[in-house]
Amino acid sequence: MSEKTVSLFIQCLVDTMFPETGEAMITVFDRLGVAYDYPPGQTCCGQPAFNSGYSRDAAAAAKHFIDIFEDTEIIVCPSGSCVRMVRHHYPELFADDQAMHSRALAIGAKTFEFTQYLVDELGINDVGAHFPDTVTYHDSCHLSRSLGIADQPRTLLNNVRGLELIEMRDSDTCCGFGGTFSVNYPEISVAMVDEKIDNILATKASTVTGCDISCLMNILGRIKRRGEDVQVLHIAQILAADKGEKR
Amino acid sequence: MHNQTTFLSAIRTALGETPNIERSKSTFPKLFAAPDTAETLKKIRSRTVTERNELVKILLHNGNTLNISSHIVESLPEAADLVVELIRSTEPEFNYTKHVIMHDHPDIAALELWKRFNREAVTLHTTFSRDRQITDKTIASFIGITAPTIGVADSATVIQLTEPGRPRSTSLLPSLHIALLRRENIVADLAEAYALLRQKSHLDSFVFISGPSKTADIEAHMVYGAHGPRELHLIVLAEPELEK
Amino acid sequence: MSAKPQSQYCRDAQKGMGSPRLQASLHSLQNRFGKGAMTLWAEMDDQDMRRRVKQSRMKNLDHLDILLAELAKKVRARGGHVHFAENAQDAIDYTLEVARKNEVKRVVKGKSMLSMEIAIDSALQEAGMEVVETDLGEYIIQLADDKPSHIIAPCIHMDRSRIGELFTEKLGINYTDDPPSLTAAARKALREKLLSADMGLTGCNLACAATGHISLVSNEGNIRMATTMPPVHVALMGMERIVATLDEHRETVQLLTRGAALQKLSTYVSFVGGPSTSDDPDGPKEFHLVIIDNGRSKILADPEFREVLACIRCGACLNICPVYGRIGGHAYNSPYCGPIGAVITPLLDGINKHADLCKGETLCGACKDICPVQIDLPRMLAGLRQKLAYGSDRWNTKQHNPLEAYAFTLWRQVVSWSPLYRTGLKIARLCQRPFVGKNSMIKRMAGLASGWTDGRDLPPIAKKTFTEIWQKKHATAEVKLPMATKEDNNA
Ligand code: SF4
Repeated sequence: MSEKTVSLFIQCLVDTMFPETGEAMITVFDRLGVAYDYPPGQTCCGQPAFNSGYSRDAAAAAKHFIDIFEDTEIIVCPSGSCVRMVRHHYPELFADDQAMHSRALAIGAKTFEFTQYLVDELGINDVGAHFPDTVTYHDSCHLSRSLGIADQPRTLLNNVRGLELIEMRDSDTCCGFGGTFSVNYPEISVAMVDEKIDNILATKASTVTGCDISCLMNILGRIKRRGEDVQVLHIAQILAADKGEKR
Repeated sequence: MHNQTTFLSAIRTALGETPNIERSKSTFPKLFAAPDTAETLKKIRSRTVTERNELVKILLHNGNTLNISSHIVESLPEAADLVVELIRSTEPEFNYTKHVIMHDHPDIAALELWKRFNREAVTLHTTFSRDRQITDKTIASFIGITAPTIGVADSATVIQLTEPGRPRSTSLLPSLHIALLRRENIVADLAEAYALLRQKSHLDSFVFISGPSKTADIEAHMVYGAHGPRELHLIVLAEPELEK
Repeated sequence: MSAKPQSQYCRDAQKGMGSPRLQASLHSLQNRFGKGAMTLWAEMDDQDMRRRVKQSRMKNLDHLDILLAELAKKVRARGGHVHFAENAQDAIDYTLEVARKNEVKRVVKGKSMLSMEIAIDSALQEAGMEVVETDLGEYIIQLADDKPSHIIAPCIHMDRSRIGELFTEKLGINYTDDPPSLTAAARKALREKLLSADMGLTGCNLACAATGHISLVSNEGNIRMATTMPPVHVALMGMERIVATLDEHRETVQLLTRGAALQKLSTYVSFVGGPSTSDDPDGPKEFHLVIIDNGRSKILADPEFREVLACIRCGACLNICPVYGRIGGHAYNSPYCGPIGAVITPLLDGINKHADLCKGETLCGACKDICPVQIDLPRMLAGLRQKLAYGSDRWNTKQHNPLEAYAFTLWRQVVSWSPLYRTGLKIARLCQRPFVGKNSMIKRMAGLASGWTDGRDLPPIAKKTFTEIWQKKHATAEVKLPMATKEDNNA
């Protein structure tokens, strides 16, 4: 097992709305004997501002993030889009500032998405979870397209005892979240998530999961509104389950 | 020319170059550098009959998926039989009489089609260079016969060069296009074909044809014969090699 | 039930989403061509080809002045005329002049988006000419007085019965909704036009500087007709649509036809340029190449956006974009729709004017993945949003939404100082209480946020945030100890 201490980078949405996802990550790390800490003072990686074009404001958030996380060994986050923000966009934000640029690159190099860290860095394919249920997996865009993370979560899910993974159609098509897009263009956004949900329902799986809470929040919000009977869980929650309990 | 000067200066400004100083292509030798094709040309020339037959097979197979009707013949008379049959069995689309337009090409002349229609109302035209009525004759024709310069196996393409006596419209206006192609003129892929094209000292207009005219604009329903020929018949002339 | 005033973009988008025909077409289009292209790229033997072509596209942009000068020289050597047009009006004026000199009465067109960009049709019509689109899809659009909704398949929003009625009305044929019969009717009608036209007006897919040819791709053969039969051929070329050599052409054209329709080559790839010679009895007597800037040099000048000029207009990005796939092409209100349209339209025609195009995507990245030349459209969309966020002198852009900008300034304070952030969360948690519904979700919010709750529930802020949970359990712990118990935190 890696000697490195993992610093948890808890995406703002997980912190505020889905803390159980963060707790689930901890459960998994505990089970695996991975040491971790939670650097205080973290807020938001800056993605909402960046995607809306407010790059200077995003840079302020990035600076705050870098200050907080600079002294860590490894940073692990339960959200692909935040990892992408740190890895790909932080250096861009400081293109004109050599010192900040190098700091951004250094931070990016040690920031990992949760499943990616487990599989690629720790070499773990089986976290010893037990989740007797049918599950379908949504590929979040930034995760799969930008970070190339698609096999890692599937490997982990396939090794969960009792879990049957059923692939949905077009699992890598965008769920329609897109940050402020979902608020600015709700009709289009909802049409997109509706198609996603139709594809989820078609699998007859009782749980949909993914590695990015933003997408899952979007899917959950629409599922609740439509009154569909599908449970939405972050992958950490499935990997944390070990008593075979159905959540 | 005045327009050109200001236009290109604007581009140089955009590129951060001095607007008024023309950049010469000789300063950028790599810009127009093209890979050496000697190897490719050698490969094309040194193909064995077996290899060429393999290319024929690929061409026909790929052509099939593009709705090209293809035929292999061993001799020109055999090719002529096929053409005659096509002329007899096809009804004109835009006219009532059967006119056929043919490129001025030795292989097409050697079909001696004129000998075959002494009792039927079929008019044969050849696109001789100085004939001023060629366009009218082509418009009147329901079948056009050409002998393309190059065939490309990989993309099922025939390459038709515009040359004296070989106008563009012969493969375009008639309802049926018959392309007579010698096995020797078939190459493996577009890289080889472009290498051959680059050999030509002068290239007039030319066209790559990979199948009959088609459209899928109405509800994605594939229909052949949009504006160009609705059928493309490819006749590959593969004469048996004489024992050496 | 949103009370927000709706933009034209949103209204057109909703119209598109409300059309079952369009939805069905978009669905099958994306299913077939979007997925097909991704498979094609994955299975292509030459995995380096896309990168290579992209590189050559960028290299050619860097040397555009040299290439265009060479092209002009070669075309002129073939007996063609070349005109450099700085803007739309210039291109129109030149074409009108050519038409006037040749007493042109009927113009047949090959599909050209550039001709729409410069709005040349109306200018020709006002000058008394008949202008006929000859691509079947474009012809149908023209008969219906409609607008194209896809770069390659212009009339996917129309169904066969609508086209049948249209043909009955305009061509006087007996009603049929059979695509082959409808195509045959158009074939006949257009053949007459094509054979009697005085001028052919086309675009240019790729010009080859070394040989002085322009090349055009088509499946129908209409472009061959329009460039062969009329006595005058005018080709409109966007100044960036150029390759240096035939070898570059070979690779670029293959990516174009693969991206567009999964074809190794389109049915016809015609290389023209120059009038017919005395030995060559058909072909136009005059050939004019009009090379058009119309805002492109401004894009070229900005390193942030230069890459978009590498586009070869294959339309593949439309075939995968989840937003285009819902709303269709009309909402973009531009000859260029889909992801490429969302980037190029604001750049050519005004960022403020087309703010909705800059903002109306999720930045999912699918367009970049499918693009044969790997153009980073999402990066440029974010760049456009940046111009809207802060304004830009270079792009003559005003700050789009001062209120939003102010909100992000506040946000910046909040996220940069965690005590403020934490306090803010607590306040928000108190405020949300009355809104939390039976299923523990927020059903309705006011103002901007209603955009979310009009169609979706929102999870409330948790009773205890992760940070609070952590503090409670680990505040005293020096070393990070594995956590033993787990508390039910669900609201
Ligand atoms: S951006 Fe790429 S995919 Fe879209 S039209 Fe241009 S070349 Fe094709």
